[in-house]
Formats: sequence, C-alpha cells, structure tokens
Amino acid sequence: MTLLLAPLPEKGIGLPHDASLHGWRIDALINETSVYVGLLFVIMVAWVVLACLRHGPRHEARFDHGTSTRSIAVGLCIAGAIFFVVDGPLFVNSLILARDVFGNFAKVEADPKSVRIEITAHQWAWVARYAGPDGKFNTPDDIVTFNDVVVPEGTPILFQLVSTDVIHSFNIPNMRAKIDAVPGMVNRVWFEAKETGEFDIACAQHCGLNHYKMKATLTVLPRPDWEKWAAEASANSARDYDPDDREAHWGWDWSEHARI
Amino acid sequence: MQAIPSEERAAHEELQPIHHEPKSFFFKYLWSLDHKMIGRQFLWAGLGFLLVGGLLAMMIRWQWAFPGKPVPVLGSIFLRSQGGAIGPATYMTIFTMHGLIMIFFAITPVLIGAFGNFLLPLQIGARDMAFPWLNALSFWTFALSLVFVILSLFGELGAAGAGWTTYPPLSTNVGTPGSGQTWMVAAVFVTGVSTIMGGINYVTTVIRHRAPGMTWMRLPLATWGLWLTAILNVLFVPVLGSAALLLLLDRLFGTQFFIAGATASVSGGGDPILFQHLFWIFGHPEVYILILPAWGIVSDLLSFFSRKPANWYRGTVYAMIAVCVLSAMVYGHHMFLTGFTPLLGQSFMLLTLIISVPAELLFLNWLRTVWQGSIRLTTPMLFSLGMLFVFGMGGLTGLYLGATATDIYLHDTMFVVGHFHLTMAAASFVASLAAIYFWFPKMFGRRMNETLGKVHFWITLVCLVTVFSGQLLAGYSGQSRRLYDPYQYTFLKHLLGVNRVASYAAFLLLFAQFIFIYNFIRSLIAGEKAESNPWQVSTLEWFTASPPPYHNYDRIPTVLRGPHEFADPEVRRRLGRDFIGQAEELPEAMPPAVASAG
Repeated sequence: MTLLLAPLPEKGIGLPHDASLHGWRIDALINETSVYVGLLFVIMVAWVVLACLRHGPRHEARFDHGTSTRSIAVGLCIAGAIFFVVDGPLFVNSLILARDVFGNFAKVEADPKSVRIEITAHQWAWVARYAGPDGKFNTPDDIVTFNDVVVPEGTPILFQLVSTDVIHSFNIPNMRAKIDAVPGMVNRVWFEAKETGEFDIACAQHCGLNHYKMKATLTVLPRPDWEKWAAEASANSARDYDPDDREAHWGWDWSEHARI
Repeated sequence: MQAIPSEERAAHEELQPIHHEPKSFFFKYLWSLDHKMIGRQFLWAGLGFLLVGGLLAMMIRWQWAFPGKPVPVLGSIFLRSQGGAIGPATYMTIFTMHGLIMIFFAITPVLIGAFGNFLLPLQIGARDMAFPWLNALSFWTFALSLVFVILSLFGELGAAGAGWTTYPPLSTNVGTPGSGQTWMVAAVFVTGVSTIMGGINYVTTVIRHRAPGMTWMRLPLATWGLWLTAILNVLFVPVLGSAALLLLLDRLFGTQFFIAGATASVSGGGDPILFQHLFWIFGHPEVYILILPAWGIVSDLLSFFSRKPANWYRGTVYAMIAVCVLSAMVYGHHMFLTGFTPLLGQSFMLLTLIISVPAELLFLNWLRTVWQGSIRLTTPMLFSLGMLFVFGMGGLTGLYLGATATDIYLHDTMFVVGHFHLTMAAASFVASLAAIYFWFPKMFGRRMNETLGKVHFWITLVCLVTVFSGQLLAGYSGQSRRLYDPYQYTFLKHLLGVNRVASYAAFLLLFAQFIFIYNFIRSLIAGEKAESNPWQVSTLEWFTASPPPYHNYDRIPTVLRGPHEFADPEVRRRLGRDFIGQAEELPEAMPPAVASAG
C-alpha cells in the first residue's frame, strides 16, 4: 500500500492543485475569462486616465449629447460585441460542461467501475457509507467512515448527499467538486481523481459554531489498494454489525434518479 | 419648446401650498414633516450604524490576520469575558451583524433614506414629498428597527449568528436558539416596513409632484436611480418581509415552514430551499436597490464635472430600467449548488449574463461622458471616478459567478465576498461619499474642505481596492467564506500573508474615515459659507438657497430643459458661462437649436 501523508500545502496565490480528471475544464474557463475581464478593465482605466490628462480644465468641453444615430449604434455594437466575446464562451461552455461532464450522471452511472457513496452531513461531520459487496445500502456489509472518505484513482466517484440538521456544502477544492447537502433533499455530485494522495474536504456553507472545523479527509488510493481496503473494511463492518444499534442504520435505497 | 400653460403652474401651487415652518423642537427636529430634515435624520442614523458595521468588519479582519489573538482596543471593551479574543461563537455573530447592519441599517438609510429624501423633491421642483406624514412615520419605524438591532446585539446567547442570508434551518431554533437571532429577524421585518413606506412615497412623489415642464426625460439621473430603486423596494421588500415573518413563526410558534428532515435530530416537513427562493427574489434586486442610486448620482456628477452633457441620457435611463426588470429574473444564480435542475440553473445563467449588456451601456455612457470634457477633479468627481474603478472590478468579477461551470469552484468562496463587496459595499460607499461631498453645501449651507477630501479619497480608494482584491485572491485560491480560522485547512495555510495585507489595508481604511469625520464636523461648524450654486451646475436644487428654505421654492419652477446642459456655445455667448439651469430662461428669444436640445 502506498505510504500516504497529510494533504500537501499549497504555494502562492492561485487555484489549488487540480487532482481531478476534469477540473482543468473549470480552470481553463476561469482563466480565459480572466484574460477578457483584465483586458476590459485595463482599457477602462486607461480611458479614464487619458481623459483626465488630455481633457482637463484647459480643454474645451464638446457640446455633444451623444444622441446621433452613429454614436448610439457604436455604443450598442460595442456592448453587443463584449457580450458575445466575453459572456458567450462562459454560457456555451457552461452548457457543454453541464451536458458532457459535471452534469452527465447517466454516463457515470452506466460505468461498471463507478463507486457509489452516500454522505450524511450533520453538525459538524461528514459520515460516508459504501454499499459493500452486496451493492445495497443499509445492510450489514456496508462500510461506514467518519470524516474519512477513501476512493480509488481513475474511477468515477458518485456521491449522494443528505443533511440531518442544517444546510451544509460538500466541497473538495482539489477536485473542483461542490454541492449543498440540504435537509429533505438528496443531492448528487461526481468526480474522478487522476492522482493519489490526501486532500481536504471542507464545508462551504455556514452551518454554525464549528463550521470552520467541519473538515474531512479524502484519500485517493490506487485502484487495487482501494479494493483491498474496501474488502477489509467491509469484512470488519459485517463482523461488528450490531442489529440493535438503530442510530447506525441510516442509508437509503440508491436510486439513480433520486432527485427532488 | 412646448409652452407651459399657466393653469398647470397654478395647479401645482395649489397642490403644494407653502406651509409654515414649525418652531417647536419636537416638530422641527423629531416629528418633522420636512423631507430635508427627515433626510438628515436618516443620514445621522445611517452614518452612526456605518461606523458600527465598520468596527465589526475590523474585528473580522483582525481574526483573519491574527486568528485567536486578543483584539486591540475593541477586544478589551466588548470581549472582556473572552480575554479580548474572538471565539467561534462570537465570530459568527460578528460577520452576521456586520452584513445585516451594513446593508439594511447603513447603506440603505444613507443612500436611499438620506439622499432619496433630500434630493427627490428638490430635484423635481417640489415643495415636499407626496405624503410628508408617512415620510416621518417611515423614519420612526426605521428608528424602532434600530432599537431591535441594539437589543439583538445584547441578546441572550449573543447576537444573530446565521449569516446575513439567514438561511434556515440554521436560522431557526435548530441552529440559533438565542433571542439575538429573533430580534434581528424582527428588525429586518420592521425596517422593511419602513422601506416600503418610503418607497411608496418616493414613487408617488416623482409621478405626481414633478414641476411643470419636468418631463420624464428631463429628470436628473440621480432622481431616475432613486425612483427606480423605490419601485424595486416596493415590489420586493414585501417578499423579504414574508420570508422574515414565516421565519419568525418558525422560531416563536413552532411552525415548520423551513424546517425539514426525516431523521432523529431534526424532523419537519418544511422546505429550507423555499426560504432561499424568497430571500433571493428580494436579495438580488436588493443588490440593484443599493447600486441604482449610486449609478444615478455618478451619472450626473460625471457630466457636471466634465462640464459636458451626459452621453446618451436616454440610453442610461433605458439601461437602468432594463437592469431593474432583469434584476427580478436572475436571483437563481445564488442557488446554483442547491440541487437545481440543470435547466433552471442554465436559464438563470442566461438571464444573469444578459444583465451585462445594460451594464456595459452604462459604462460606455460614463466613459464617453468624460471623454472630450473639461474635467475638474474635485472631491466629488474623484469619488465618482473611484466608483467606476471599484464597480468595474466588482461587475467584471460577477461574470465568473453567473456561469454555472465556474461557479462550481467559486461558489461560497471569498471570491464571492470580494465581488459583492466591490459592487454593493465599495461602490455604494464611494458613491455615498461622492454624494455627501457634492450635496453638503446644499444640505448645510457650508462647504467641505477640498484638500482633506482629496486625501480622504486617495487613501480610501487604495485601501478599498486592496482589501477587496485580497478577498478575491483568497477566494480564487480556495478560501471559503465565513471561516473562523481558515488556516485549519492545509490548502489554505499559505493565505495568511495575503489576508494579513488586506487586513492592514482595512485598518488604514478605518483611520482614513476619521479624516472624513473631522472634515465633516469641522465644515458643519466652521466651513466656508456656500452660495446657492457653488459647483456651477444645472439641476433645480442649485437654484434655491443653500440650505433651501423650508418650502424649497418660493415659486414652483417651470422646467425648460434637461439636467445636463453644459458647454452649449449659444449659452456661452448669451450668458457668458458654460451651463444653464433647468428652469433658467435664456435672455432674448430662444433659438430653435437650443430648445430642441432638451
């Protein structure tokens, strides 16, 4: 088994290390937008500075209401052009990414390798449940972990989340994955890790006193190591199963379309 | 120029007769019906709570720079029981109260309460609001809500702590059982009642009390901004009121509108997301409620101090109207990660991105107004240009958050905090300061010191940009908002440096405000006396005394042209100056060229 250390610290200002297969798509869109936005901002500031330098008190103001058809047309064209060049890619790429990647649950569900995990969030911890060899949740062979999510590398990981008290938000910055856990709802999110290691899972939604400490560890193992871990953990669970411990018997029938 | 029939003027005089100024202290200063006095009441209350909200912000900044260390000065006064340091429970009340106080009890009263009241009747040539009594009631209802805020601050188990967004179930007894949270929800409800009364008054006043000749397309843009804001308030604050009322029922009477859960610890058949819908149906227009007056004011000031007509006045008006209409249809972008169906999220994304078109038109108009002008970098002008700078940053960073893909990563990070502070906080604050420096002579009959004003401007701008850029960078690097100690997370440890720099800038920002306070008080007492039109500009309020008499205008003016008539060669030839008032007649018969320019 690979020797693992605590999550690696980040360096410098910038997006945290991307350990997911598809995170770069979000990063690229952010960075591309930054180029346009930066350019617009520089032009705006330069314009104002130049106006102040050239058209100061000694310059005679032009009597112009800017209402000529030409002037209005120029304004509308610039605004339209900015919309299509800057907002356009954001919109189109968001649609494409939702369809093909981040919202494409059908593909992940159809993949026989996919790992399914149920998460219950509560003040202030993340409890994870794996179905175990029988593929059914809330059975004696389920693996249940506390603030500790272990997943295989190179495999789509599919989460369904609930909350038992207030709203939390399941956030794994290094995987560019985030979704709210809302009482009364089952939400879902998926990612695929492209490298092994340990990463922070954080709560992104203010959930009370210890919100800042609602932290879990995501451990990504090579697929064979993970299978070994899962087999051992499942055997342990089955052995320690206590039919009378009702508190421990949560979990819901996994439905691929469990959405409200 | 269409002639104004004398009957119309007579009708206005009859509608708004001159009342005698009350002499008793109670009716002059407390239950005053005079919009100028009520505006001042809102100004004092708003500035006072701005300071409270600002001090709370300093404590948040201290915690991010020196987590768990005793807070200098403030800690030894307010946090003595905790050894002067901020604990996690105190921390969550601090950021909650900071947000709620700044939005509802500082920026709203200053921009809308003070300037809305002071400017609207003066700028449209009216003697007072349409409903002066309702106006006074609006202020005193607001004052009642301030009492609730103070009660919350000293509430059992601390002040409100569920965040300014007050999401249930955290904001119900499940998460925040203390009385502080209840008082604060009640305060928001009561201030909402006050805002609605004010809004109805503003809307009616502008419709009914415009002076003869003051057509819609001759209104100053500040009036347009304030009027549109009033409409949004009347439409959407009731939605907030309903959310607050349902939440109060959940807290006090055991209903379960917003409590859900089928497990042992929390049970209920309500829907927490319903609250978010109600909150953001109000909450997104609220962003524009706070910025529209600022846009209007800045649009006017840029023209005034460029000594040039505002570029494409109608375009600015239409853009502001478009933003108002769209503002009600984009709120879902606050909820992309709540488990929306993708189609809903994507529809909200499209509508959100469309808002950038009118926003771009506004910016283009501002930039083209100053171009080819004769720019006077007075203090109000500097603050107006400063608003362009911070609002530019804030508006552009909104793009990332409006798109569903990029929002996955940036949602609930400090990037969001930086973005909305640049728009709602920095831009509104800077525009409020522009407005105070600009209308101070009209309000108080004295002038503020320009040198101190400019020093104040430069420190304020640099600090605001540093503080909120720091937030943007921290969020871009992954720091979630509302973390008592971000450095608990390995991937955030290295952000202490950038947070500390931003905090130092915030402390300096606070100190710079003392320059302003000093200048304000000194000018109030001993400032140079202002004549009626010290800035040499064209809107109606500058053609009555400074400060205006109780009834504003001895004779209701007859408006002849738009609000930005600068640099007209014909005016220069006949009057020997570069501007002409909205109600000022040109000597000799008016040539057709000038008449059509209105």
